[in-house]
This record gives sequence, C-alpha cells and structure tokens, in this order.
Amino acid sequence: MPIMSRRSFLKTSGICTAGAIAATYLPDQFLLWAGEKGLAKTEKITTYCEMCFWKCGAIATVVGGRVVKLEGNPLSATAKGKLCGRGNGGIGLLYDPDRLKHPLIRTGKRGEGQFRKASWDEALTHIADKLKKIKEEHGPESLALFTHGSPTEHFMPLLQGFGSNNFAMPSFAQCRGPRVVGYELTYGDDIGSPERLDMASSKVVVLIGSHLGENMHNSQVQEFTDAIGNGAKIIVVDPRFSVAAGKAHHWLPIKPASDMALILAWINIIIREGWYDREYVAKYTHGFDKLAAAVQQYTPEWAEKETDIPAAQIMATAREMGLHRPAVCIHPGRHVTWDGKDVQRSRAIAILGAILGTWGREGGAYLATRGSFPAVPPPSFPASNRPTLKKGGFPLGGAEGVTNAIREATSIGEPYPVKAWMVTGTNLLAAMPGQKETIEAISKLDLLVVVDVIPSDTSLYADVVLPECTYLERHDGLIIGKGRALSASIRQPAVAPMYDSKPAWWIAKELSKKLGLEDYFPWENFEDRLNELCLTYNIDYDELKQKGVISFPDTAKPFITADNQPVFKTKSGKIELYSKELEELGFEPIPAYEKNEEPPQGFYRLLYGRSAVHTFSRTVNNPALNELYKENELWLSSVQARKMGLTDGQYVALQNQEGITSNRVRLKVTERIREDCVYMVHGFGQQSKGLTKAFRRGADDQQLISSYPVDPICGGTGMRCTFVKLVKGA
Amino acid sequence: MPKYAMVIDQRRCIGCMACIVACKAENNVPPEQFRTRVLEKTEGQFPNLRTELRSELCNHCDNPPCVYNCPTRASYKSRLSGLVLLDKKRCVGCKACVAACPYDARYIDHNKGFADKCTFCDHRIKEGKEPACVATCIGKSRIFGDLNDPKSPVRLALKGHHAELPMKSAGTEPRVYYIRRFGTE
Amino acid sequence: MELTITGANAMTNPVLHIWDWRVSLYLFLGGLSAGLAVMSSLMHLQKKEDRIPAGETVFMVAPWLVPVILGIGMFFIFLDLDRKLNVFWFYLTIQPLSPMSWGSWGLLLFTPISLLFAYGTLPEQRREWLYRLPFMDDLATWVKPRMQYLALANAAMGVFIGIYTGVLLSAFVARPLWNTAILPMLFLCSAMSAGAALMIVLAKDQCVKLFYTKVDIGLIIAEMIIIPLFFYGQYVSSESQRLSIMPFFSLNHEYLWYTASLLFIGVIFPLALVMKLAEIKECHETLCSSDILKMNLSAGLVLLGSLVIRLTFVYAGQISKLV
Repeated sequence: MPIMSRRSFLKTSGICTAGAIAATYLPDQFLLWAGEKGLAKTEKITTYCEMCFWKCGAIATVVGGRVVKLEGNPLSATAKGKLCGRGNGGIGLLYDPDRLKHPLIRTGKRGEGQFRKASWDEALTHIADKLKKIKEEHGPESLALFTHGSPTEHFMPLLQGFGSNNFAMPSFAQCRGPRVVGYELTYGDDIGSPERLDMASSKVVVLIGSHLGENMHNSQVQEFTDAIGNGAKIIVVDPRFSVAAGKAHHWLPIKPASDMALILAWINIIIREGWYDREYVAKYTHGFDKLAAAVQQYTPEWAEKETDIPAAQIMATAREMGLHRPAVCIHPGRHVTWDGKDVQRSRAIAILGAILGTWGREGGAYLATRGSFPAVPPPSFPASNRPTLKKGGFPLGGAEGVTNAIREATSIGEPYPVKAWMVTGTNLLAAMPGQKETIEAISKLDLLVVVDVIPSDTSLYADVVLPECTYLERHDGLIIGKGRALSASIRQPAVAPMYDSKPAWWIAKELSKKLGLEDYFPWENFEDRLNELCLTYNIDYDELKQKGVISFPDTAKPFITADNQPVFKTKSGKIELYSKELEELGFEPIPAYEKNEEPPQGFYRLLYGRSAVHTFSRTVNNPALNELYKENELWLSSVQARKMGLTDGQYVALQNQEGITSNRVRLKVTERIREDCVYMVHGFGQQSKGLTKAFRRGADDQQLISSYPVDPICGGTGMRCTFVKLVKGA
Repeated sequence: MPKYAMVIDQRRCIGCMACIVACKAENNVPPEQFRTRVLEKTEGQFPNLRTELRSELCNHCDNPPCVYNCPTRASYKSRLSGLVLLDKKRCVGCKACVAACPYDARYIDHNKGFADKCTFCDHRIKEGKEPACVATCIGKSRIFGDLNDPKSPVRLALKGHHAELPMKSAGTEPRVYYIRRFGTE
Repeated sequence: MELTITGANAMTNPVLHIWDWRVSLYLFLGGLSAGLAVMSSLMHLQKKEDRIPAGETVFMVAPWLVPVILGIGMFFIFLDLDRKLNVFWFYLTIQPLSPMSWGSWGLLLFTPISLLFAYGTLPEQRREWLYRLPFMDDLATWVKPRMQYLALANAAMGVFIGIYTGVLLSAFVARPLWNTAILPMLFLCSAMSAGAALMIVLAKDQCVKLFYTKVDIGLIIAEMIIIPLFFYGQYVSSESQRLSIMPFFSLNHEYLWYTASLLFIGVIFPLALVMKLAEIKECHETLCSSDILKMNLSAGLVLLGSLVIRLTFVYAGQISKLV
C-alpha cells in the first residue's frame, strides 16, 4: 500500500512547485508587505555604494533575502541621506542576468569571447602556475596590475608580495591625475576626492568644462543645487549648453581647447583691476610679482580672439569672481585629461583660486581634516632591484601610476618584459585611449586575468575571467574619509554572493595561498581584518556595522582662523604661484598659453561626457538604468546639420583621421553646441555579446581616440584632441 | 484631514533622474513603465538658450477626472489622506482613467493589466516618511508636505515663491505646484 | 524647441494610444444596434404595425438583430479590457459620473428589453416552437398588449445608446478632439443613419425600403450639417481644440489616414445622399435588380461612413492633447 495516493502526491507536489515558483517571482512589494507584517525577515544593512567612485553610504533594505530598496545613509558625508539614480539602480546590477557567474578559462582566441566554465580551484591554479612560470623566466616585476575601486586594496598586497611594484590606476593618467599634480605643485596637496569645495556657501561658482549635474557626484551636486538655491552666481565655461549651463548666469560657449587662454586672461584681469585678495596673497603665496608680470600679455581682447568669448563677458565674469571673493568656488575639474597640457591648466585654475583667496575660506575650498587614525604599519614587501614601470619616465608620474606607460612597456618589452596583467575593477578598453595599442600590448602577454562583475569588453581578451560578486554581496576595506571631518565607513554584504561569484578579498587570498603569499593575508576572512582595524582605530565595530558611518565632527577645522593656519607642503611652505619645482624639471614655472590645433575642414572635435544615470561603461547593461538611457546620441549643431542635410534622430557613424569608423550613433541635432565640435556620452558601443542590453548600442568614443597627446609632466593622455567626420547612411 | 501636496522647485532640479529610479524600486514598477518622468526642454537659438527641467507625476487632483470616469470605483479619492489611489482588485483595465488624465500620469501595468500610477508613496506616508522620489531628490527640488500645516515644507516653499499649477484650465485642481524659475534668473 | 522626456510611458507618449479598432468597432456596432432598435420600433411606435406589407420580414428580423449586433459589439469591447476576469465589477457599482458605468448598466437593461420586443414581433406561427420552453407562452400573452410600450422602451434605449457612445468619448477634458457637446449628437445621428441603412438592406418591400431611404436622407443631411459644425466649433475654441483638428487638414504623410478619412466622409455622404435622392424619384415603380443594387450600395456607403467616423474619431482623439 503506497504511503500516498497518486492523486494526493500530484496535488502536493503541484502545490509545492507552484509555491516555489511563486516565491521566486513574488513581487518585491509583496515581500515588503510581508516584511512589515513580520512574515518575511526584513533587515537594513549599511554599506557604501560602488555604482561609481563617490562611495556614498547606502542602506539596503533586505526582505526575505532579497534587496528591495537602496537608500542614502544620512550619516554619510558623500550621500547626505540620498542616492543618485545609479545608487538607486544598484539592485539592477545585483539581479542583472548578464552578470558573470562562474570563473571562465579562454578556449578561443583572445577577443573572441570564447570561454569554458571552470571551478575556482582550477582557475586559480591555472593563474598561479602561469605566474610562477613567469616569475621564474622573467622575474616578479613582469606582473602588472591595472586596478580601480575597492578591489585595489585586495590585489595590491598580492602584487607587491609577489615582488612587483608595477601598478597603475586609470583614474590618474586618464582622469584626474593632472589635476592632482597641478594642485600638489601649487598648494602642496590635491583638492581631494571628493573635492573639498564649500559650494553651498559660495557666492560664485565657476565650472570650467565641468558638467556637474550630468556628472552625478552625489554630495557635490547636492551642494551645487544648494548654491543655486541660495542665489549664487553660476559661471559655466563649456562649448556645450550643459544642464549646469542651463542654470548659469553666464554661459561662456568657449572654443574647445582654448580654456587656458580664458583662465590666464581672468588671472590677468583680476590682478590688473586689483580684484584679488591682497592680504591672503601676501601672507600665503609665493611668486605673485612674477605671476603678475607673466600674465600681463593675456588681455581680454587677446583672449576673445582665442576663445570666441566676447571681451566684455570675460571682464564681467572676472568681476563677478573678484567682487565676491573669497566665497568663490572655482571648480578644479575632475576629468581633466583634455589636451596633454593639463597639469599646467590645472595649475592655472589653482592659481586663480589662490589669488582670490579661496583655499581654506568659506565658499571656496575648505581645509582637509587633520584628524587621522593611528597608522597601521604596512607589511614588508620584497624589494625590487628593477625600476618600477608605473611612473613611465614622467617626472611627476604620480603615486597611482601611469597606465599608458605600463602598456607601452609591455608592448615594446623594454626596459624588461611584462608578461602578465591583472585587471581588476576597470574596463581598460573603454578607459584607455588607443584601443589598438591595448590589444597589441595584450598580445604580448602570457597571462591576462580580468576580475570583474559583468562581462566587459576587456574580459573578452582575458585568459581567465574571475567573477567578483557585486558590492551588495561583499565586505571591502574601510573608507577613511578625510574631507571636512574624519570618518570611517563600512561595506558589508546585504545578501550572500549569487551564483559562483566571490568577493575580491577571497579571490586575492585564495590566489595568495597558491602563490605561497598567504602571509600577506593574515586573517581568516575579511571581517576579521575589519574587526582588527577597528580595534586599532578605536572604533566600535558593532556600532560601525549598525550605523554604517562613524564620523568625528570635532576633527573638522575647515577654514582659516587665527589658530587654524593652513599648512602648504610645498618647498616654500606657501602657495606656489611660481613653481620652482617645475622650473627645475624644465617646465614652465608659471602656466603659459600654447595654442591647440583646430579641426580641419569637414571635421569636428570629438567631446565626450557623462550621463546622470550611467557610470562609464559599467552601468549601460544595468536593466534599471539602461531603460532610462539605452544608447548615447551624437550632439551636432543644428546649423551644421542643415548644411549636411542631416536630421534629428538619423543614424550616422563617426570616422577619425586615421580612418577608424565607429558604430552607428543617433544624431541629436541641437542648438546647444558650437559648430566646431560634437559631443556624446562615454561608455557605449560595447562589443561584448554577454552584455545583452548594451551590445552594440550607440557608439564608442574611446574607439575613435587612437592618437592623443601625452602630458610630459605626469603622463596624462589628452583625449579631447580627436577630430572626426560624420559618415551618413550608417 | 491632511492635504498632501508637492512643490517642485524647478530651479533646483538638476536632471539626475534619481527620482525615477527610486520610485521604480520602491513601488515595484514593471520594466519600461514609469510613475514619474523628467522633461528637459530647451528653447532659443545658440548662444541664447534656456533650459527647463521639469518633473511630472500624478497631481492627486481634487477634481480628478480619472476618479469620476472610472466605472468600477477602482480609482478613488481617499477620504483619509486625500490622495487619488487605486483599488486594484476592482480594476477592469478599461483604460478610461488613462484617457481621462490630462497629465498622462497613468499607465496599464503590462504584467497585471490593471491601471496604476503614483500614489505619493502612501505606504511611506503612513510611516511618517516622504515619498521615495522626494527622499532621494538630489537637488531638493521635490518638496512634499501637508498644505494644512503652515510649518510644512510645502507651505514654506509656496510662501517664498510664485508657484503655478499645471494645466489649471483643465479644472482638475491639481496638488503639485511648480516654482518655475529656471535658466539664468 | 528641443524636448527630451526620460521616464515617459509608451502608451501616453508621444500621444495616447490605448484604444484601437476594437473600441471603434464596438462604438460602431453599438450605434448600429441602437439605430436599428429605433428604426425597427418605428412601426409599432406609430401604431402602424397592421400596415406592414405582407411578406415583409424585416420587422421581425431586425429586432432580433439588435441584441445580436450589440452582443458582437460587446464582445469586442470585452476584448479590449486588460483585466477581463474582473468584468463583473462593472455590475457591482453604479458610478453616476462615469459614462462607462452608464453604458454597462444601460446595456444590461437594453438587452432584455430588445429581446422582449423582438419576441413580441414574432408572428404566432414562429413562436410555437418556443412554447415548449416554460413561461414562453405566458410571456407571449404578457408581451402582446404591451408592444407599444416595449417599442417605446426599445427606441428610448436606442437613443440612449446612440448618445452614450458619444458621451463615452466626450467626457474626457484631456482629449480636446472629443471634448465637445456636439459629439454625442453626431454619434446619435450616425447611429440612426446606420440603423436606417441596415433596414434598407434587410427590407424586402419596395415601400419599406423607400420609407427608410427618406428617413436616411434626413439623417444624412443632419450629419452633413453636424460634421462641418463640429470642425467649426473646434476651430473657434481654444488652442487645444484647434490643434486637435489639424491632422484632418494636414498634407503631412504622418496624418494621411485622417485627411483621407475626412475626404472619404466628405465624398461618400453626399454621394449616398445623391443616390438616395435619385432613388426616391423612381418611387411607385417596380424595383429592378439594378435599383436594388444601387439602394444596397448607398446603404453600404452609409454603414461604411458610420464605421469610418468611429475609427477616425477614436484614433484622432487619442493624438489630441491639452496644451
């Protein structure tokens, strides 16, 4: 006699199946309701976001093991209780079906995207064996690390323990490096990331090429809107009528690549008219007279010819700045790698801020907190007797490394061969100009390992692809905030890693075991490490977990007062308007104007920027964000469109001067841009088929940037010097 | 009874679209469908341009055409909160409410077939929180509160500025006010 | 002016598109059955039922067609519902301000009235086989003396349905093309005209055919007055209303169908009118087959015109919006 009749078996199994299916597809709102009624477990987990690099403190609402909502942590200085569109859309990344799920080992040719699934053990052993072989044959320095974001903290000890110091972060030579160098030369310190701008109290906000608002730096945009709300005068210098320009009292549609002329003219006018802060200049700066003499030639009339901005407007905007000093926020820019002269232009901007007395003053740039946690002595890494490649021979190559230098060294095999790359948290093909050079360099490698969350274009070239879980599923290093006040932020998993993905700390640690480097990871799991750190820092770990952010408001001393004097870590101990250091290195001690090439007839300068709902190439496939902006568009002046017989919404392709042709892109015919340039949002035109939503949507601007000037001071690649023409019938 | 309303300070909207994403996550809105939207309108000729950023959503009108056109009373004006809400179990999917709304605030949920729209996150209001779009608004452009409370953020915002109601002539008595200062002023 | 909208719903942007041919077909069939109800009740209303020529079946066929056509129409509108299983909610609430609610209750009332009337028009012989069913005998007895009331009720419901199909659309302030008091009148006229046209096609007797032809002529003339008045009314109203009629007068390929339908209506109604006027001249002569063909053709044109009006208005109304 069977225990259960056939009918009741079918009934029960049917109900169970239905129940299981229902549970999988239960809408989040049901889960929320169930959570409220106490039927399903609801938790609020604090973490910090990784949808971009601003690292906003976030709170994840988890119901029944599913993240249903992300909100900003009110205690976080970068979030101030709010998350931007990307932050809100983190759930889309977590549940993106296109995510990397298993370690992959390449089966086809590099770039074909043919892989087979592998176990972690197999994949890591494969990597370790190859690395050992490379170390034997070519030495440990043959391994280079390209990294960005939170994986950096985990893979650096691995790299350095292995014996190499060759690492680079694209954020330096492809983004803010020149600004960091420019400000360090001037003030002895970078202006910070996030930038230490006291915008909410500014009376004038000056954006030079910055499209704040479309580049969604959470707290900075919040303060920008505060400035707007407070009636601050907004001055926007941009060849395109950006969203920020739409808020501006003065929009200066500058001729692209002539910004230096404008800045130098402003400095000249401000000095000439006496609109500078005499006391401040006398007390805190060095080289004012030399500066005044050097900029005399840059009259507004001269600048008008270079920039296409009427002299009267140059005067008027200088006056605004001068009259409202020092509560003037001259935005230093962030992505400043425009024309290979970017250190000098950043210096010029720094100098402008300095003579207006804005550094350390309300409404200008506030001083960093001097608070700090007790130092944790770094482990001792093996010394290398070979020079590091990361500076690339650039005198001020930067602590973060010059990516293009390592790439070049890999290509030519000089001064020594680089045979292995690890790429973690960055999509090199989209981040670096000269895609052909990147592919060429990769062809010289014996091993390319890519650690990523989604199957990026770079992962197509990897020998081994390792799936990192998303930021919502892992622990990462503490973020030490050194803005206004000292703070520490935690990242902890909201849910367990999905599929076979693993946190970066685990990947690094497991790999270290196979390389005999586990001493550099002297903890069982990363939470132990965090616990340790908190002990050292004298922070209550449980409190940190619960609050997400612990700050020390007493450490905030943002403005210059009698007993809070600024410290300038320059040679002279003052703000160097005149840079002896640069002079000694053979560069202009005071920024000078050098005219940039203009596009030839029939070509336009290619400009690129950001979308408020996307972060470079990493969010294009995110279902929550993709539906708001599926493909980028090419902004083209309506006058030019009429001349060429092109209409809004038509598809064209772009071709650069070397004949490289882009994917088709939709035209946005608009009044909002000058006639000599075109603009599009960066991060589209992706070639990886695994990204089902992003695949071949829109055009890739980076593909067209095949030749680029390099800043001789720091190695930054100037990426806004590409000229393109439009190809119809795409 | 509270009179919930919103004020949109268009000067402060920076077009970040966070409101759209937050609303979708909070209310489980199906893909490709939206309860709120952001318009970017540019007028003029280079270089004399002006841009208006404007977020739109259900206005929870006091004379709502969607309520009196609904044949089954699925669309109703709550007597407790004054919000225009939906009793989904009664909805037949006739789409009269979608046609009736002058603000294009409604849509038919393409998974379930019933009409749906912004509810001012009344489930959050009950917990004393602001609607999801307001809570996440980076520019602090969306302001929410009770018009009957003189100290509420909406009353304070309206005190200081001239605000307009959208399509007032339609006679719907909407509750979302727009402070329409934008551009270079 | 450059406009970018992020977060627009496809069904309301760039224009509303929620209702399609199914709704238009329902409006047409509803109007047709309403018109048919009125037209087929005329004899009983005027107490001329004994003057019905022998062999004329239309007065007992048409009343049955009323609920059938209505039923088909309701089937199509049912298809348009996105939550069909909830349809019973229509009948659990009365919403006095919702024309859809009037319609659902009205149709609920219309069906039995039209069935009763239709039953009443059946001659004795035809009824006998129904007497096998319980109550049909008693029902026949009950119905017989009340035929005039039933005819009145039938006609009244017909007028109500004819008007209500127009009110359905005209109640929306958000759709300026529809939001006019003349629309229900237009739809009523069009519905009556369609009913008359169908009577012409169904009728066998020449005099009946000619009678309804005269009725139809009057109705077509009324329509030909109402339609230009409608456009005039929109033209002298506010901007939204003026813009709403622009697609009809546009040479843009985008609005091809609207301009074409306006031309079509502007052509076929006069054409049908002319044909019918010609037919009247031939009264009291035996109708040959070519005459019958012409009559049916002109009636067909009227029906087609009625359908085109519904289709055009449903689609054109959705592309209109308040500015």
